[in-house]
Amino acid sequence: MTPVLAVRGVRLQRGLREILRDVSFTAGAGDVVALMGLSGSGKTTALRAVAGLDPFDAGEIRVGEITRGPGPVRRDHGRPRVGMVFQFHHLFEHLSAIDNVCLAPVHVQGVSRGDAVAVARRLFDDLGVGHRAGALPRELSGGEAQRVAIARALALDPPLLLLDEPTASLDPARRGELGSTLRGLAATGRALLVTSHDDDFVRDWATTVVILADGEVVEQGDPHRVLTEPRHPATQALLRGSP
Amino acid sequence: MLRLAGLAMLTLAALSSSGLHASKASGLQAFEPSFLLWGGDAEGGAPFVEADPHDPSRVVGLDVDIATLIARALGREPRFVQITFTSLDQSAARGDFDLGLSGIEDTPARRAAVAATMPYYEFREVLTVRAADRDRFRSFADLKGHRVATLGGTIAYELLLVAEHDHGIVAVSYDDDVHPYGDLANGRVDAVLLDNVLADRSMRKVSGLYTDHAGVAVGHYIGVLGPTQTALRDRMNEILRAAMRDGRLEAILRRWGVWNDDQPPFFARVLADAPIAGTAIPQTTSISAMEMTRRYLPSLLMASLVTLALSCLSMALAVACGAVIAIGRVYGGAVTRLLLTTYVEVMRGTPILLQLFVIYYGLAAVVRLPASVAALIGLGLNYAAYESEIYRGALEAVSRGQLEAARVLGLSDRQALRLVRAPQAFRLALAPMTNDFVAMLKDSSLVSVLTVMELTKQTQIFATNLGSWVVPGVLCAGLYLTMSLPLAHLARRLEAAWQAPTAS
Repeated sequence: MTPVLAVRGVRLQRGLREILRDVSFTAGAGDVVALMGLSGSGKTTALRAVAGLDPFDAGEIRVGEITRGPGPVRRDHGRPRVGMVFQFHHLFEHLSAIDNVCLAPVHVQGVSRGDAVAVARRLFDDLGVGHRAGALPRELSGGEAQRVAIARALALDPPLLLLDEPTASLDPARRGELGSTLRGLAATGRALLVTSHDDDFVRDWATTVVILADGEVVEQGDPHRVLTEPRHPATQALLRGSP
Repeated sequence: MLRLAGLAMLTLAALSSSGLHASKASGLQAFEPSFLLWGGDAEGGAPFVEADPHDPSRVVGLDVDIATLIARALGREPRFVQITFTSLDQSAARGDFDLGLSGIEDTPARRAAVAATMPYYEFREVLTVRAADRDRFRSFADLKGHRVATLGGTIAYELLLVAEHDHGIVAVSYDDDVHPYGDLANGRVDAVLLDNVLADRSMRKVSGLYTDHAGVAVGHYIGVLGPTQTALRDRMNEILRAAMRDGRLEAILRRWGVWNDDQPPFFARVLADAPIAGTAIPQTTSISAMEMTRRYLPSLLMASLVTLALSCLSMALAVACGAVIAIGRVYGGAVTRLLLTTYVEVMRGTPILLQLFVIYYGLAAVVRLPASVAALIGLGLNYAAYESEIYRGALEAVSRGQLEAARVLGLSDRQALRLVRAPQAFRLALAPMTNDFVAMLKDSSLVSVLTVMELTKQTQIFATNLGSWVVPGVLCAGLYLTMSLPLAHLARRLEAAWQAPTAS
């Protein structure tokens, strides 16, 4: 079965600095792939390149049946293939939680408002924020905002969901909840790509881990194996650095 | 612009004269100052007071000659201070100068407010029309429904207000006595009522006009002094009388080309102490300030509506143009950005009065805009520059993350602007916009230079006729506040509504 996401030989530089060097990895339906690395290793840049927010200079990124090469990013026509949850969520500040979720279905896909609201309510209920539908983003707690942001990304039912540092602002108890939510989303036939600093979280919930160091993939595979018996010095450094 | 220059001069004059008044206050009655400080408006021009074409730092004119004559007879040197024509009475009362001379009309209200000299010239208020209309428009009755222009705050303007009531003409007030004739020639108005001196002067400059010298009323020029300066005034009257008797005044009037057959009998009457035929001005004189206020209130309210309507429409234009400019500067290409930046800098960097003059008078050869439309466009386009800067700042203040979130969701740039960026920017822009709207309410007073009768202009006319700024000033301030305070209140409520938590 072809993977949902295939990143092949991606190089990305800003000026003279190479931020990603020959990065390759894949994510299949049902996978939760974790990108790990020290700060500055390029994991968020890799995520942004996959999301189509940053152009890259060589290689290709395929999502579903659409392949993108180097050069300026053109907007996908129709339904975006990728949903993204930003580290700081970036919920539209002037819209209520439910309007955040309905915006793209109504204006990009042309779904009727009634149908969009129904989908949004179901997503909110599944994610446990049904009671916050009318709240404005600034009234939401960090965890609530994250779940609204996940609902917004899922509203268009993308085959690939990206999450940038989803554990960063959660306390340990909440991390478990998030992990099982992500596994549940993957189980419905989606591929998930997640950046994280938290090796316990990755060990418990990811199906694959990709270690980045200085813009290169230095190690990848089953998280239990990679994070328990690290082979590359960068992975060892990463694990030493975590609390 | 001109008004501001006048204000600056006035301030300087006040500063330079303060030493003189300090010496007066010392109580030495026999002490004769070495200067006669006299005020006039060089913008009024020939033949009264104008900058000497050969040496613009000096002034020349018949009032200059009369001031010199009086000063010399007092054993003093004349020294000129520039005072805006409409402020001459107030400046006299304040003591900014010893004597005001600038073709000032003799009116009962003026006599009540200042110490007036005896009249030194008799003029007729004459009607000027386009030569083609000379048989069609012979009187106010013929001008029913037509626009008749004059200088605001003058006897002629009072006469037009009466004619507006009696004959159904439309009175149009100008801030100066030159543009009415230009606008008569190009068809913005159908007649001009001013005195024969001003009419003759303009007839020489503007062709195709006809003046009926029979005149609709008679008036006189006088000098004005501070209300307490009656002793000095009496000495000046004696000097003027002597000059009338021995032909020196006639020589001055002849020299400036304003001597005519009306003067000998007028001189004779003055020298014989005979009553001088008064001008047929409407009786606004004997009524009380209260009564005058009651009469002016409807026109002040009307002028407030003009101010409000003009401000609202101009602001709507400014908001629309400002939004387009801001979006062009944020999203446009290099050429678009350069053009729009140039526009903004030119509009912000030049006085709005200049822009109004250019739009109304400068463009008259190409497109003859009605005054209200020119005012609306002038204010709107000027404020558009300021609004665009607010919106540009607000658009750029919306975080990049918001735009990236929109992009990942598949929104086009246009949709992201419409659905995400603009609504958030608008909330940021609201407070400064309200601020600008209040400023617009006040700046709209500038359009009185284009003959639009808005609140400040109407107040000025009221104050001139009343001879005091106290009641008109308080009323005017009250009306402006009545308009601006609810706006500020509304803006605060809107801001609060957007900040308040919604029911969840």
